[in-house]
Parts: sequence; C-alpha cells; structure tokens
Amino acid sequence: MNLNLTINGILHETSAQPGETLMSVLRRYGFHSVKFGDEQGLSGSDTVLLDGRLVNAGVMLAAQAEGHQIATLEALGEHPEQGWKKTGGLHPLQQAFVESGAIQCGYCTPAQILAAKALLDKNPDPTESEVREAIAGVLCRCTGYIKPVKAILQAAAVMRGEIPGGEGPAGGWLELPEEETPTPLTTQGGEPIVQTRVMPNVVVTPENKQWNLVGKPEKKLDAVKLVQGKPAFTADIELRGLLHAKVLKSPHAHARIRKIDASKARALPGVAAVLTWEDLPRVVYSTAGQSDPIPGPLDMFSLDNKVRYAGDRVAFVAAETPEIAEQALGLIEVEYELLEAILDSSQAMKDGAVRIHDEPEYVDFADSDPTRNLAAEIRIDIGNVEKGFAEADRVFEAEYEVPKVQQAHIEPHVCVTYWDEDDRLVVRTSTQVPFHARRMLAPVLGLPVKRIRVIKPRIGGGFGGKQEVQIEDVAAHLTIATKRPVLYECSREEEFIASRSRHPMKIRMKTGVKKDGAITANEMYALSDTGAYGCHALTVTGNTGHKSMALYVGAGEYRQAPNIRFYADIVYTNTPPAGAYRGYGVPQGYWPVERHMEKIAREMGFDPLEFRLKNALRPGEYHPFSTAWNEGREPRPEIIHTVGLEDCVLQGKAAIGWDHKYGCEEWRRSGGGQEGNTRKGIGAALVMQGTAIPYLDMGGASIKMNDDGSFNMLVGATDLGTGSDTVLGQMAAEVLGVPLEDIIAYSSDTDFTPFDKGAYASSTTYISGGAVVRAAEIVKEQIQQRAALMLNQEGEHREIKAEEIRLADRQASAPDGRSVPLSEIALDSLHRQEQEQIMGVASYVSPCSPPPFAAQFAEVTVDMETGQVTVDKLVMAVDSGVIVNPLTASGQIEGGMTQALGYAVCEEMVYDEKGQARERDFGDYHIFRSDEMPELTTIFVETFEPSHPFGVKAVAEIPMDGVAPAVGNAVLDAAGVQIDDNPVTPEKVWRALKQKA
Amino acid sequence: MIREYHRPKTIEEALTLIAEPGVVPLGGGIQLSQPGARPAAVVDLQALGLNKIHKVGNNLEIGAAVTLQALLESEHCPTDLKQALKLEAPLNIRNAATVAGALAACDGRSPFAAAMLALDAQVSLQPGEETAGLGNILPLRQEALAGKLITTVTIPLNAAFAYRQVARTPMDKPILCAAMTLWSSKRTRLVLGGWGASPSLAMDGREPGGYAQAARNAAQESGDQWASAEYRRETAEILSRRCFTRISKELP
Repeated sequence: MNLNLTINGILHETSAQPGETLMSVLRRYGFHSVKFGDEQGLSGSDTVLLDGRLVNAGVMLAAQAEGHQIATLEALGEHPEQGWKKTGGLHPLQQAFVESGAIQCGYCTPAQILAAKALLDKNPDPTESEVREAIAGVLCRCTGYIKPVKAILQAAAVMRGEIPGGEGPAGGWLELPEEETPTPLTTQGGEPIVQTRVMPNVVVTPENKQWNLVGKPEKKLDAVKLVQGKPAFTADIELRGLLHAKVLKSPHAHARIRKIDASKARALPGVAAVLTWEDLPRVVYSTAGQSDPIPGPLDMFSLDNKVRYAGDRVAFVAAETPEIAEQALGLIEVEYELLEAILDSSQAMKDGAVRIHDEPEYVDFADSDPTRNLAAEIRIDIGNVEKGFAEADRVFEAEYEVPKVQQAHIEPHVCVTYWDEDDRLVVRTSTQVPFHARRMLAPVLGLPVKRIRVIKPRIGGGFGGKQEVQIEDVAAHLTIATKRPVLYECSREEEFIASRSRHPMKIRMKTGVKKDGAITANEMYALSDTGAYGCHALTVTGNTGHKSMALYVGAGEYRQAPNIRFYADIVYTNTPPAGAYRGYGVPQGYWPVERHMEKIAREMGFDPLEFRLKNALRPGEYHPFSTAWNEGREPRPEIIHTVGLEDCVLQGKAAIGWDHKYGCEEWRRSGGGQEGNTRKGIGAALVMQGTAIPYLDMGGASIKMNDDGSFNMLVGATDLGTGSDTVLGQMAAEVLGVPLEDIIAYSSDTDFTPFDKGAYASSTTYISGGAVVRAAEIVKEQIQQRAALMLNQEGEHREIKAEEIRLADRQASAPDGRSVPLSEIALDSLHRQEQEQIMGVASYVSPCSPPPFAAQFAEVTVDMETGQVTVDKLVMAVDSGVIVNPLTASGQIEGGMTQALGYAVCEEMVYDEKGQARERDFGDYHIFRSDEMPELTTIFVETFEPSHPFGVKAVAEIPMDGVAPAVGNAVLDAAGVQIDDNPVTPEKVWRALKQKA
Repeated sequence: MIREYHRPKTIEEALTLIAEPGVVPLGGGIQLSQPGARPAAVVDLQALGLNKIHKVGNNLEIGAAVTLQALLESEHCPTDLKQALKLEAPLNIRNAATVAGALAACDGRSPFAAAMLALDAQVSLQPGEETAGLGNILPLRQEALAGKLITTVTIPLNAAFAYRQVARTPMDKPILCAAMTLWSSKRTRLVLGGWGASPSLAMDGREPGGYAQAARNAAQESGDQWASAEYRRETAEILSRRCFTRISKELP
C-alpha cells in the first residue's frame, strides 16, 4: 500500500506492506537510529516520537503513522563541524550524553535521548524520578541508568539557561557520614542546585597524579557517532540483494531426525535456499570463542541429525523477506524419533541415563566423557584438606544453588555475510572475538582462514554472549549456498531459547574453622550444567573455584599453607547450552562462598567483615590456585602484589553507614513500610576476579603517524561498549604527548588490525593496553630520533640526544627549551628527508593475572508478610588498580551491579518437564528498569599494579560477583532467614519466614 | 500475516469492516503488529473519535481508543488505578496501547485488567448498543468480541479503589495482585491477578469482612510456574487486607 509518512518534517511518499511495522519502513529508508531490540516493544530501542509522544516503532504498523509527525534521532543534532560547513552542532541532550559518560554500547542511546526530549518538551524542569519514569521504557543493560539520568538533568539545566551543577572532585577519602541522609547540595545562596555529578569517588595513587590523560574522565571516542544514531552497528549496513535468514528450531528437548523434507519450503516463491543436515559437510567444532586449542570438547555441528534441546537447530532458510523465511520454516516437514531427555543435572551421570552425545566425531578435551554425559571434570587439591578439617574446631557444611541467567544484550546476535570482489567471504558480525571467529569458521565452512574476513562494527552489548561463534555459520552457509548477502538477526525469543547463558550450578560447601576464626580448610564441590553443548564448560566452572575459593586462604599457619579443594563435574543436559557470561563462573562461586562465610561468622559470633579480612589473601602471597590449575593448561605459580581489600572495606563501610546500621535493631525497624510490616537489613560480600589469562591472552596494536601529527591506532581488541577504545587511546595519547582527539582508534577487522584474542576475561585494558603502550613507546622513540635530527640541524646548539626529547602538548621538546611540533615531525618524516613511516607494532602477553578486589554492600527492605525484598542501596568499593578513565570505569561498575542485582532478585531461566523455556521475552525475563533502581555508589580505591606500565587491573567483571550474596546476607540481617538459592524471590523468603516461625 | 489495513472514519464503516471473518479492530497495535498469529485485516480505530474521556455523573466514560497514558493523566483517574497503569507498561507502550486493546489482549498478570475488573468496568459494544460487565467478557473474549467493537469503557468514581501487588522487583509483573473497590453501600468487589488467562473475581458482595476468605478461595487453584497456590492463597489474604485497610479510610 502507498503511504505518505512525514519523517523529521519531510513528507516521504512510500510504499509498505499492510502488516509492515513503522520500524521496518524507517530502517528501510535509512533511519538507523531506530533499532531492533525485541518484538514486544519492551526493550524500547525502537523508540520514535509520534506527534511528540514516545512510541515503539517496532510494535506499530507503518500505516498507523500516516497523518502524524514522526521524529527520529537523526533530526536532533549533528557534528558541529563538517569541513567548510558549520552546523548547529549537537543538541544539548546529545552533548550532555557525550560529556556525562552516559553512552556505553550506544544501542539504546537514540531511544533514551528521544525519551528525554519528549519529557523536556513538556516539562523543562523535571525531577530525577520524572526522568527515570520517562526513560523507563528504554532498557539499558550497560549503564545502570545513573549517567543517562544525570545527563538528562544536566541538559535540562543547560536548556533552562542555568549553570548546571559541576563535577565533584575526583579524589579524596570519604568520611564516615554523621547523618543517615546527606544534606542536599545547594548554591552559595542556599538554593538547591541540579545534581548532575557522574564521577565516582576515587582514592588516587600517587603515580596517577603525574599523568595528563591517564586517570582523567575523557569523553568516549565513539560517543559523538553513537549519540547521533549513526549506522554503526552490524545490521545497519545496506547491501543489494540482501537475503534474510531464519532457523527452524527443535520443538523437542531430545530427538533424532528420522526424516526431513524441505521440498515445499524450497518451492515457496521468494525462498533462495533451505539447508538441512543432509546438505552440509559434517564438521565437528565448538562455538566457544577461545584461543587454540579450544579448552573444551568439540561436540557440535552446524546442523545435525539429532537435536539436543528445545530450540536446537534443525534447518536454515534464506529468503527475500523475513516473513517469507518464516513462512518457509513452517513448510519444512520433520519426522522426529523422540528420545528420553535429561533436564536435571543431578540425573545426568546416573547409571542408565540416556547419552546426549553419541556422535562418533566427538573430540574429548581433558577429562570429558560423553558416555557419562560428562563434558568436563575438575579435581584440584591444594595442601591437605582432610588434615585441615581434622584440625578445625567447627566444620560447617551447606548446599547452595545458582540459576541459569541470560546476558540479555539489547542488540541481539546479528551477522551479515557476503562474498567480496576477490571471492573472499566477509563476515560482518556483532562479536567479541573476531579473530577466533575467523579461525573457527574456516573448517566449518570449508574455507582457508585467508579467505575469510571478519569485521566487527560497534557492538550493542555482549557480556560474554558474543564470545561465542554462535550464528555466523548460519549466514555464511546460506551465502555459500546462494552467492548472495545474508542477514541473520536473532529474535528475542531465539536469544532466550537458543543462545548461551550462565551455567547453573548446585554447590556444596564445607569449611573448617578454628575458635579464633582461622579457616583451616575450605572445600567446594560444584555440579555444573553446561546444557546440550560443552562450550566453555571446563573454563567457566574452573573459574568458579579458581577465583571464589582463592580469596580465603586461612589465617596463621594456614595462611602459609592453605588447604583448599575444588572439585567439579560439568554435565550435559537437554537444555540450551550455557556459555560465557560476564563474571565467567565467578558469580556462581561467590553466592555460596559469601553466604557460607556469613553463616560461619554469625554462628561463631565474629564480626562478618573482620572474619573475612582475617582469612583473605594479602599482598605478596601466592594465588593459591596458580600452583594447581590454569584453565586446562600447565599451572604457573603467581604472586599477588596488590590487594586493596582492607581499604575497600573501610571505604564501603563508611559510604553505606555500616557501623550505625549493622546489628542495630532500631535501624532494622526504621523502614516502616506502607502497612508497617517491613524490616531493613544490611549485608556485605568480599570478592576477587582475575585480569586476563596469563601466558595465553595476547593483544596486538599498531600506531602510525599521519601528516598532521595525529595517529591511527589499530587494535584487534573489541570495544563492546565498555569504552576500551577510549581507554586504549588515552594510554597511547599519554605516551605520545597528544590530546585524545589526535588518536583515531579503529577496532576491529581481521584484514587490517593486529590480532587480539578478543574482549573477555577482563583483559582489554591490561593486555591490549600493554600492547598499545609498547607500540606507542616504539613510535615515541622514532619521534624522538626525528626531533633530535631536526633540532640538531638548526645550527649552533649543544647536540640533542633522542632520549632527552620529551613529548607533551603536541610538541617534541628538548631540554634547552627548543621544540618541534609533531605535525612538523610528521611532514619531515613523510616528505622532506630520510623519509620513513613513523609507526610501531607491538603485542603483549602477561605472565600474571593480577586480581581486582572489591567490597560489596547492600541494604534491603523485607516485607515480613509477603516475603518481597526491595533492594534500597548498593555500594561497591573496588580495587581495580589505577583507573584510566573514572567515567567509563564507574559506568562498568554501575552497569555490572545492575546486572548482578537481577541475579540477586529476579533473573532466572526455568524449564518445564518437557524442557520448554518459561522465559521467552523481556516481559517474563525482567531486567531492571530506570524507575526501580536502588541507589548505586561506586568507590575506586586505587593500587598501583607493578606488572602494568600504568598500574591497571581489571574492572569489567568484578561488579557481577558480590551483589547477590550481599543481598542474601542483607535479607538474613533483616529477616533472620537463610536463602541458599538465588534469586531471592518473595516466595522463597516467605517460606523461610514460615519455617522460622 | 496482515494483508489489509483500514482506517475508517465512521463507526458504521468500521462495523461493516469487522463483520467480515478475520478482520479485527486495531487499537495501539502493540499486540497485533507482533510476529506470530496475525489477523488477515485490521481496522484502525484512531479516526473514530473514540479517544475522549468524559466524567458523566459518578462515572468516568473512557473511549475505547483512549491510550493508557491519557487515562493515567486524566484528573479523574483514581490514584491506585494510576499505579496499576504504571505497572502495566512503561511510558512508550502506554502512549500507544489503548484501553480497549489492553483489556482485549490482557492475561491474568495484567495489573490494569485486574483493576478495571475490580472497578466493575462496563463495556459498551457496537453493533447493538450492548453493555456488558468486563467480567462477562474477559473469560470468553474471542466469542464475546467477535464482530463487535468496544466503544467505551465506564468505571465508577463514587467508590474507593485500592491496588496492591507482590513482585520480584518494584516494577515487575505481579506474582500476585489484589484490586479492591468499596462503594458507600458497602458493596465490595475484590479481584486477584497474577496467574491464568485473565484476572479472577474473588468477591462481589455487601459484607466487606468476607474478603479474607474470598481471597483464599479465589487463589485455591492458582499454582503455576511462577508461584505455588499455597503462597498465593496466603498472600492474597494479606494483599486484600492491605487494600481494605487503605480504602476503608476513604469512605465516609
């Protein structure tokens, strides 16, 4: 049908199918700021304004919008300078988002800004809660909402003509608050001012103070692009003849395909290809995006004659439109032979259990044994655990359980494949691991690595979900079959039923303790459920023990020789595969460890924090597991140099007011509640994570100088919204003495950028940063030599040595006060004499994995009648070494705490007796919205990690670890009940309260 | 797949269109624009003038095409109904979803439907100028609304209303919700939600004190994947009490 749509004030005469959504038409016309997040409108990334009102273009027919004014972000503002043409620049909202660090992946940013604009058009002076309600329909999985909310308040103040409240000081110790409620900020005249502070509190190391860019809240390099909604993401590419892929999913949890007939589907007009297992070569592989050799079993095929979970792949279709592809799926006739399904991990290894992997091509890794449904096995003994138990005064045993949860990045898995003019296959994909993807796809597709090019554009969130080569083969097989470009974009339901997730585990703890509080031995057994395939099975579960069981080594003589045992069985079940999810097994470990420590402390009458610190790792001690385990490789002992845990506890306690809340019955009763039946509680957890995988993770970087003294920095590291390009740029700029704007960062393209293992294991700032600093040092040396050459040609002066030259303020300066601008050095080297390209290439692999540490605090209110838990406040004090960029780093902590909050109280994936998923959309799988967030506080307690030139450690994953146990411990404090399996839902608390009564 | 889109300018025109099999009215489009089972044709109600809210005596007449947000912003909207609307959906969905559409598409976990059922919302239908209680329509919606058009939904303003829910987070769907309306005549209407295909009427009588037992009875068979019947039975009594405590203060 013909439609006249007024988009951004311009009338477009268009045509659309009667059932076509407004989002589909807008994207077809190039308005790429409107993004797909889900089919129900619950993610809100498809937001546009219709007559000034916020609506979801993905759940509105294009025809409904005729006669209305449609506005997208494209009309709001633009880059202030475009050559000779000056523009109006960015809108104050866009500017505020850039300046406030409100953008991480940027996928939801256009929608958030439009939501803010709709609000400010009606209400120029909104309260924070009004802002939170206005953007509540736009889910953000990255930020924790603090910075977007503050950015909107700041923009509102700017638009009102007021001077917005500025940044708070970056440093300074916190003092114990005297009052429970801090005094509101006021101007000198006593008027309340707009609270737009987005900086965390940072306790700064002395080393930090010498740098110009490292340690500073620089704006993200990609912020201006993302704040305009530019077509930066995978699906934003426009290709002639693009086909749309769909995948037929198994309705059964376990079945053999007896017969499959795709003839009717192939005959449907508009269908370009249908592929079944009969059409593809049978290549066994693993989808886990890891270094070679992959530390796990090879147990998957692109398509197989057996399905192992409800949602497993049965057939691929490529068609002219998504609707035709969907219709074709319904025409594929499949005859299944149903097999017994294992849905409970505790049944997987029982005698007589059905075998899930009976394919002859199965390739073992380490101790996998498919005859017993065992994907991997871990047995780690450090010291003499039995002796430790025998010497204990008390031994505490308990069982815990943690659920399967989803990464829930708002941009789904999405991939476009096409043949280029050289008959090389281009894979444009939203991936955390472009280089692993290229290597792993090659055998699956029957192509040599050199004929595959993987391009990683901007990523709309990954959180480990895209450390999987999960869908690229689907599009690639269809491109090979059709010779045409193919787009495969997962639906939200596919994300829930057929993507990866966090491994659920059943965990048993046993801990021996002396009367004085010294832990004599600590033991964990984990039964981990990897689902139908063993991707990341060994390594995720290994980290469960490696990180969480390493924190408490014991006290006194036990500190010198810790007794720790970690055993795990990782079993197959007929449920969707688990995989990598931010934290990588460690959150699963800290729920039982920190719940267990709390029980022990309370049972034995110790202060819970003093008990923990008494037994926790200290600087100069060995990481206990480094002597025993290394992700399936040879272990190498490693000393931990920096542990800021005690200061983290001190800072966190002060920020949450621990000393006048913990153990205070009057405070517990102070919640009141609407019906007067609530109690408040406070809880804590201490955690540690890792920083990259030692002797394995490698990152590369190249830096080359341009004619104007700017630099191209090419890294294989994959910025998945975290701001790593910016942080790496800051390090390069610091070494080269230029502002960040002179660094043009690009990541990643397997044809152009050096290798990097990818964005996982909290490694980019440390590993890729190490490579960038080395490359920058090489470039710096070349610049120094060129500057010395030029200065020594100036006549009667003492000869300047290259190493005397200092780089700062875009100048190369000699000790005698003379200097050469970098732009002159660039021109001299490229055009004038002894021409050469000033350029450095370097890589970095670390011999150690210095752990970040943190103290996590939570404050809750428990409804003592219904069991409902409301988390009121989260405080996290973190030792992540030197913080290169406090804005992006605090964004990581805030966003991580928010995801972890879901793990604490609402997120879980449940299956019925037939293996059918309960959670299939954002209605049932609830992730926190902006209008229901607790207060979040982030504190960085810096240490200087000596193994890195700028003293950094990791920040990305550690916020996932402590929130759930801190909330569990706070519920114990409030209500006196033990909840041993998360999430802490109302019925669990209610049952525990009844049992207690 | 939607093969036809119509935007009639009169109710008569709309009624002619929806009399055909497979043709359904389109409110905000939130449900009907989604993939999956789609009707053959939709009749967009936006040009029919059904987007008005009128206070008529002690009643609030809400046009079928009034958006949830417009109702929320109405000065006459009861306080707890506003809260149920906020819990129903975030702003961008409330801006498009219509009152009639949300009721026609609701399931048992809809705070808004539970609230409207407790308010004994009266639904006006065309053709035939019929009026039916929402409670009579919800259980058999497919049949009750086939070939019909909701034109207005009317709720009382001379009654006290309260809504309470238990959920995993402050804005999550209810595991259990209770909505209660109390008239000055002591007529008390209690609805529970949180499970099933639509909210359940637990009580409609003139003995307010009976709400506790009524709540327990209504939740007798309420167990599902989200909560046990035991939990819902006991919590239903608690939430009903809280509703009653709240609204009993409002009546003279």
